[in-house]
Amino acid sequence: MNRFAHLSDIHLGSTRDPTLREMEINAFEKAMNKCIDKEVDFIIISGDFFDTPIPDLEVVNRTLIKLKEINEKGIPIYIIYGSHDYAQGSTSIIDLLCTIRLMTKIDKDAYLEDGNLKLTPFIEPKTGIKIVGFSARKQGLEKQYYERIEREYLENLEGLKIFMFHSSLDEFKPQSLSKADSIPISLFPKEFDYYAGGHVHNKGEYNLPGYSKVTFPGPLFTSKGRDLEDTAKGVKRGFFIINFDTKIVSTEFIEITNFQGIYSEHDVSGKTPNEVQQEIKTEVETLEVNDKVIVLKIKGELSGGKVSDINFSELEKLLITKKARYIHLNRNSLVSKENSNIQILATMPNEIEEKLFEENINNVKSKTAILQGKQGIVTSKELLRILEQEKKAGETNDTYENRVIGSGKKSLLLE
Amino acid sequence: MSELEVVGQVVGGNEGSILIREKNERRLELGDLLIVDDIDNQVILLQVFNLHYGSQIPQVNRELASGIQLEGYGTGITDFIDPALRNYTLAEVKAIAKINNKEAKIPKTLPAFFSKVRYANNNDLAFLTKQEKAPIYIGNVRSGSKVLEDSPVYLNGNDFFTHHVLVPAATGRGKSNLIKVMLWSILEQGKFGVLVLDSHDEYYGRNNLGLKDHHNAKNNMTYYSIDAIPGSPTLVISLKKIAPYHFDGILNFTPAQKEATELYYREFGENWIENILLGEIVKSPDGHPVDSIKLVTIQVLQRKIGNILNISVKNNQLIFNDHVFSRDSGGSTVKNIVSYLEDGKIIIIDTSRLGTDTELLIGSIIANELFYIYSSSKSKGELESKIPASIIIEEAPRVLAAEKIEQGDNIYSKIAREGRKFKVGLIAITQLTSIIPRMLLTNMNTKIILGNEMSTERRAIIESAAQDLSTEDRTIASLDKGEAIISSIFSKFAIPIYTPLFEEFIKKKKNVNQDHNLIL
Repeated sequence: MNRFAHLSDIHLGSTRDPTLREMEINAFEKAMNKCIDKEVDFIIISGDFFDTPIPDLEVVNRTLIKLKEINEKGIPIYIIYGSHDYAQGSTSIIDLLCTIRLMTKIDKDAYLEDGNLKLTPFIEPKTGIKIVGFSARKQGLEKQYYERIEREYLENLEGLKIFMFHSSLDEFKPQSLSKADSIPISLFPKEFDYYAGGHVHNKGEYNLPGYSKVTFPGPLFTSKGRDLEDTAKGVKRGFFIINFDTKIVSTEFIEITNFQGIYSEHDVSGKTPNEVQQEIKTEVETLEVNDKVIVLKIKGELSGGKVSDINFSELEKLLITKKARYIHLNRNSLVSKENSNIQILATMPNEIEEKLFEENINNVKSKTAILQGKQGIVTSKELLRILEQEKKAGETNDTYENRVIGSGKKSLLLE
Repeated sequence: MSELEVVGQVVGGNEGSILIREKNERRLELGDLLIVDDIDNQVILLQVFNLHYGSQIPQVNRELASGIQLEGYGTGITDFIDPALRNYTLAEVKAIAKINNKEAKIPKTLPAFFSKVRYANNNDLAFLTKQEKAPIYIGNVRSGSKVLEDSPVYLNGNDFFTHHVLVPAATGRGKSNLIKVMLWSILEQGKFGVLVLDSHDEYYGRNNLGLKDHHNAKNNMTYYSIDAIPGSPTLVISLKKIAPYHFDGILNFTPAQKEATELYYREFGENWIENILLGEIVKSPDGHPVDSIKLVTIQVLQRKIGNILNISVKNNQLIFNDHVFSRDSGGSTVKNIVSYLEDGKIIIIDTSRLGTDTELLIGSIIANELFYIYSSSKSKGELESKIPASIIIEEAPRVLAAEKIEQGDNIYSKIAREGRKFKVGLIAITQLTSIIPRMLLTNMNTKIILGNEMSTERRAIIESAAQDLSTEDRTIASLDKGEAIISSIFSKFAIPIYTPLFEEFIKKKKNVNQDHNLIL
């Protein structure tokens, strides 16, 4: 019996907080150790290995140490770009890892011919399994690429075959993400034995006629927003190991426990800041928080006063005194009477960004198509990602500035 | 008016039936549109609704002349002096509009006695072809069986969609063709959300010409099917998105069964169907099974719900036989569809592989969500900015027949009654108008009447029309494929139209989709 591991959305370097950062890299190391223990033949990573195309070098260094170990054990890693790995027109850290042969990018040989996109199957040397995949593309353009994939050839490939992708799919999105970008599964070639998905942060295994074992492992670790809240609530994180011979025999979810969490939600509607302070303080005092990640969600409309009248830092200090490992305070849905008409109907930073862009895109007075409507939102988000990039160690101001301006120009199609 | 144009002359009659003597060999037709250039520089539009013979020669003499000719005693008729002068055709016409500066008004006077009459031309009918703000092309003006190629008829989409439309038609009279032509026009604009439950998979054009060939199809239309074509979403709906009220008007539950569904919904929330099918027991707070739900009730519910959803149970596991409904997938399908409708897209749902009740259920789930979103937007003061949305429902009596509504309201009847207030409309297609309650028919303010030979149906249509169509009975019976009459509260008179054959129509219109160049 052979086996491979399927991971995705590891997002290494997603946080600057040292505690979370350590947990994050630990989660990756644990997962790699599990792969070694389970003697997998190979590992596939369906995108978003790092959180940015050019991550912090300290994170890269820790990652390289583990990848080298995996490499020395003779376990190859096959990867595609995720939406976070992808940097239009520039080199990503994934390319460097592929150059030094710590990984293989599965769609490196893809090419366009007569308007058709040809994906060359990669034949895994140890097992003979065929792997086809396609990296994430610039948001909004992804569907156009998939529409051009030469499906029939891939559908007729003989033998066991895996299709790797990094997209949310229309058919499997939860209602809460109905507005999120996604593509229909009908764009994928049918009759693959395993569809190794990434991008979606909820673990799931799905089947539809023609498409069996469409699988999303979700992230190994979560450092932000609703993902972190879900983990604190007890949502399991990890990856899949798939056992196969001439066909897929079984799949096993390998849980990676990152931390023990406590999720505490308070609807404080109709209460004063003082009452809220007391209520949460009383609860915090009774909680056993030692070495745990605490997620406090406070929502509702205060009866009077301002949100800032609640002394959150006192509550945080109290939790730190009780040796909480990390505290995440979510007060996005907490409003005072004065600003109750401002509603943030999202819990993840990217959703909040999208909503704000949606509300304001019509104020952009431009005739350029990429700055208008939905495409304008995509462009805005992309520019935001570019502007978020930090200056790298050793990078001069000029180099940093040129790098950011260059990426911005490419995004705006000025180059 | 030149003498060459003259087709007849007003010779008598009254307001509802003006008599016109036909000029020899002009061959007026039922439904012909005629014009009198009236004395006050206005023109009166007339329409022929009856034709009969007129003669200055007594009947006995005419019969004798015919006998002479038939039996070979002479030429008979030509023996009369000026036979064309003495024998002629009389057309009964009604005045349908008075036109002044391209504005039509209801005529309140008779045309002058002995007025000369001519055929209506494109200039006369320019008021019909004016570009509305959101024009929906429906066909060309038809005069009798003659199509006025330069007189396209547009309806104002905003009125048309929110005030409901009835399309009564017998089989084979071109209703699918009409809907396709109409949807093509809508695709051009992206200003109206239209949900099409396509039970024959005939609109999209999976294997032939269809709406997919419109150059805006990629942006303004989404096609759902359980056998999705590449690029289209698969039709799959999460079981968790179905609520007991979605079955209203579709499954006939007894009061005990209805109560049981509600108890299960209360007890198990979004997992209620799964728990019914798997035979889980609803328990009271003391842990005992609820008395009011009998075992036989559960068994009947399992059968009814299992059948409509095509789900069976094996080894205590749900088996989804046609994959339309799913436990894990399709969580956002309904939300997405409604969102597309709000964006002004056409949504075609291929229900050709589904049972009729399953089709109605899917429509009910979407229609409920749509109605909820739109009615909520009114209470939030956001309705003004909403794009009108409409649902095309074929064989409408399946949900709008009087006997169905007597069993309880359903979302379709609710939309027919209240949807207008919330910018949600119905386009109801039916062969059997007579079994839809009068109150609902009256609410359907535009009727696109196609040919129908059943007098009961014609009567029901005529009685609920926006205009007096009492003289149109025979005309409706004789409407050929593609010919129709539009009766609407938004027009001054019933407009005769001809809808071109879709395939011919789009050959002139087809525009190739432009893809962007891609680089790797």
